[in-house]
Amino acid sequence: MSPTSRQALGNLSGLGVLLAIWVVYAVYFSPTQGWTFFLQLTVNGIILGSIYALIALGYSLVYGILKLLNFAHGDVYMIGSFIGFGVLTLLGGPLSPAIPVALLVLCMFVVAMLGSGVLGLAIERFAYRPLRDAPRIAPLISALGVAFFLENSVLLLFGADYRNYDGYDLISYNGIHLGGAAGVFVSYLGVLVISGALLLMVALVALVRWTRFGKAMRAVSFDREAAAMMGIDSDRVIATTFLVGSALGGAAGVMFGLVYSQIYYLVGFLAGLKGFTAAVVGGIGSIPGAMLGGLLVGLVESWAKGYLNGNVADLVVFGILIGVMLLRPSGLLGTPALQKV
Amino acid sequence: MLKKLGLVAVLGALISVVVATTAWGSAKAPNRVSAVAASTIKCGKVRTIGMAAPITGPASDIGNQQVHWAKYYVKRWNSSHKNARIKMVMGDTQLGTDTAFAVKVAKSFASNSKLLGVVGPAGSQEVVASTSAYKAGKLGWVSGSATRTTLTDGHTDGNRRGYFYRTVPNDGQQGPTVANYMIKKLKWKRVYIIDDQETYSQGLADGVQGILNSRGVTTKRDSISQSQSDYSSVIAKIPNNYQGIYIPWQLAPQAQAFGQQLQAAGKAKINLFGSDGLFAPGVWKIAGSYDSAFPYDPASKVVKTFVKAHGGNGEYFGLPSYVAAQVVVGAVNRACKAGHGKTSRAAVRKQIAKTNLKSSILGFPVRFQTNGEMKLPASFGVFQIQKDGSFKRVQ
Repeated sequence: MSPTSRQALGNLSGLGVLLAIWVVYAVYFSPTQGWTFFLQLTVNGIILGSIYALIALGYSLVYGILKLLNFAHGDVYMIGSFIGFGVLTLLGGPLSPAIPVALLVLCMFVVAMLGSGVLGLAIERFAYRPLRDAPRIAPLISALGVAFFLENSVLLLFGADYRNYDGYDLISYNGIHLGGAAGVFVSYLGVLVISGALLLMVALVALVRWTRFGKAMRAVSFDREAAAMMGIDSDRVIATTFLVGSALGGAAGVMFGLVYSQIYYLVGFLAGLKGFTAAVVGGIGSIPGAMLGGLLVGLVESWAKGYLNGNVADLVVFGILIGVMLLRPSGLLGTPALQKV
Repeated sequence: MLKKLGLVAVLGALISVVVATTAWGSAKAPNRVSAVAASTIKCGKVRTIGMAAPITGPASDIGNQQVHWAKYYVKRWNSSHKNARIKMVMGDTQLGTDTAFAVKVAKSFASNSKLLGVVGPAGSQEVVASTSAYKAGKLGWVSGSATRTTLTDGHTDGNRRGYFYRTVPNDGQQGPTVANYMIKKLKWKRVYIIDDQETYSQGLADGVQGILNSRGVTTKRDSISQSQSDYSSVIAKIPNNYQGIYIPWQLAPQAQAFGQQLQAAGKAKINLFGSDGLFAPGVWKIAGSYDSAFPYDPASKVVKTFVKAHGGNGEYFGLPSYVAAQVVVGAVNRACKAGHGKTSRAAVRKQIAKTNLKSSILGFPVRFQTNGEMKLPASFGVFQIQKDGSFKRVQ
C-alpha cells in the first residue's frame, strides 16, 4: 500500500470514528432522540449531498487539470437550472406536460447538461485559455469576473423573480416509506436525485479510469508539458474537462430545481460555495474526494438543521471547512502537493 | 515594445480620468443632495413623487400589487386634476435580495431635484436601511406595508419622526389578531413557529409565540434563512401531532416551496399560517393555509372598480399603497397651494403630518400621530387559500 493510500485510509478511519460517536450521541443522548429522526435527516442529507457532490466534481475536475479555482462554476449550475426550467415551461409546465413526464424530465436533463457544457467550453475558451500562462491570480480574477457576468446577464435577461419548478406536482408527492408509515420517508424525487447523481458519478469514474480520454486527462493533470510532448492535445483535453464538469453542474441545477423548487439568478452563489467546500473537504482535485465531500457537507447541513437551529447550519458547514483546512490542508482524500526543488 | 507602452499609458490615463471623475463626483454628491433637499421647487402642472417597491426579485408579487394600487390612485388623480398632475418615478428595491437596492433607490430619489415625496418602501428592513438617505434628502416617505413596531418608537432602530409615516397597522396589532384566530377559531393547541431571520419575521414570531404561550398553547420555535431552499430537515423536526405552523415570512415563493416539501414529507395535515408579507395569490397557493393581511373596506366603490378591472383579483396587499399615494399626493397639492406654486420637501412633510382623510378605502379615516402611526388603525384581516389559489377572507 502506498503512503498516500495509507494516509487516505487513516483519514477515513478517523472520519468513521467521528461519525460513529456522532451517531451514538444523536440517537441516544440528544434531546431529539430516535433512529427514525436520525435516519430521516440522513436521507435528506444524502439527497442534498448528492447535488453538492455533482457541483464539487466540477470544481475538482477543473482544479485537478488546471490548478484553477473556477468560481464561475456555481453560476454554470444556476444557468443549468434555468435551462431545465425553460425546457419544462416550453413543454407545457409541471401541471400540464405536453409529453410523458419521464421523457420531459430526460429532456430537461439532456438540454441543461448540453447547454451548461457548451457554456463551460465557452468560458474556458474566452476567459481562461488566453490566461493559461499568466500568473495564477489572473485566471482567478477572470473566474470571479465570469461569475458576476453570468449572474448579471441572467438578471438582465430574466429579471430577479423566483421561478418555481413545482417538481412535486410534475413527478409525485408520493414516495417510499421505510419501516412503515411512521418510518423514514424518501420521496420519488429524492430517489431520482440520488440515483441520477450516482449514475453520473459512476459514468464519470468510468470515463476517467477506463477511456483513452480519461488517460489523457490524467496525464495532463499530472504534467501538462510532458503530456503535450507525448502527443496529447492538452487544449482539447482541458476544454473537454470543462465540458464534462459544467454538464455535471447543469444536471445538479435541474436536480436542485426539481427537489427544492425555487431558482433565481443568485441561486448558484451559496450552492457554489457549498460545492467548493465539499471539493476542498474531500481533497480538491480528487474525484472520490469530491463525492465524499459533497455527501459529508449535505449530511452535516441536514443534521445541523435537524439537531440544532436552522440558522446555524451554514455556520457548522463552513466551520468544518476551516477545521479540515487546519487539520488536513489537502482534504480527506487529497494528496499533499509536492513541489520540485 | 513602444506600442505596448503607449497602450498601457493610454489605458492608465483613461483609468485616472475615470477615477478622478468618480472621486470628484462622490465628493460632490452629499453637497448636491443637501442642496436639492433645501431648495424651493416650482410646482408647475406636473409634480413628481417617487415610489419605492420590489418591482422585481423574490418579493415582486407583493411589490407589483403595491405598484398597481398606487398607480391606480395617481391615474384617478390625474384624470381630475389636469393642471396639477402627478408623475410617479419608480424605484425597484428588490426586497429579499439585499437592502442595498432600497438604499440605492433612496439615494437616487434624494438627489432628484424634482421629487417631493415618496410612497414606500415595502419592507421594514428597507425602511431602516434607507432612513439616512431619505432624511439627508429631507424627504417624507409613507409606506403601505412596513409593519415592524419599532420603526416608529424613535430609538430602537433609528429615529425617523417627522419623515416616516405608514398607512398600515403595525405588528403589535397583527400578532394578537393571528394568535387570537389560532386559539379561538382554529382551536390550535400546538403550534410550530418558524421565522426567516429577518427582523420583521422575528418580531412577529416573538409576538405571536408570547401570546400563544401565555394562553396555554404549546409552541416550538425554529428558523430558516431567506436564501434557503431545502426545508426537509426543519420539516422532519415538526411533530406530526402539531396542528399549525406559523410562518411570518416575506417571500411567497419560499412559502410555496415549504408547503410543497411539507406535503411531500407526508405532513399535509398540518396547516400553514402566514403573515401580510405572504399575501400573494397565485404564488403561495397551498390550499387550506391561512394568512393575515391588511384591513380594507370591501364596500368601497374604488375597491370594487379596481377588483373588476383586475379580473376579480383584489391584490389587497397593495391596497394600503393606494392610501399612501393618496397621502403623499394630497400633501404635495396642499404644499403647492400654500406656497403659491412653489414648495419644498420640508413643506410637503409638514402637510403629510397634517393629513386628514375623512374616509379611506381602508375602511376608516386616516390621520397620523406624531410618531408616524395612524390614529385609528383597524385590525388585520385573516384569509384562507382556496383550491384555485385565491385568498378568501374568513375574518
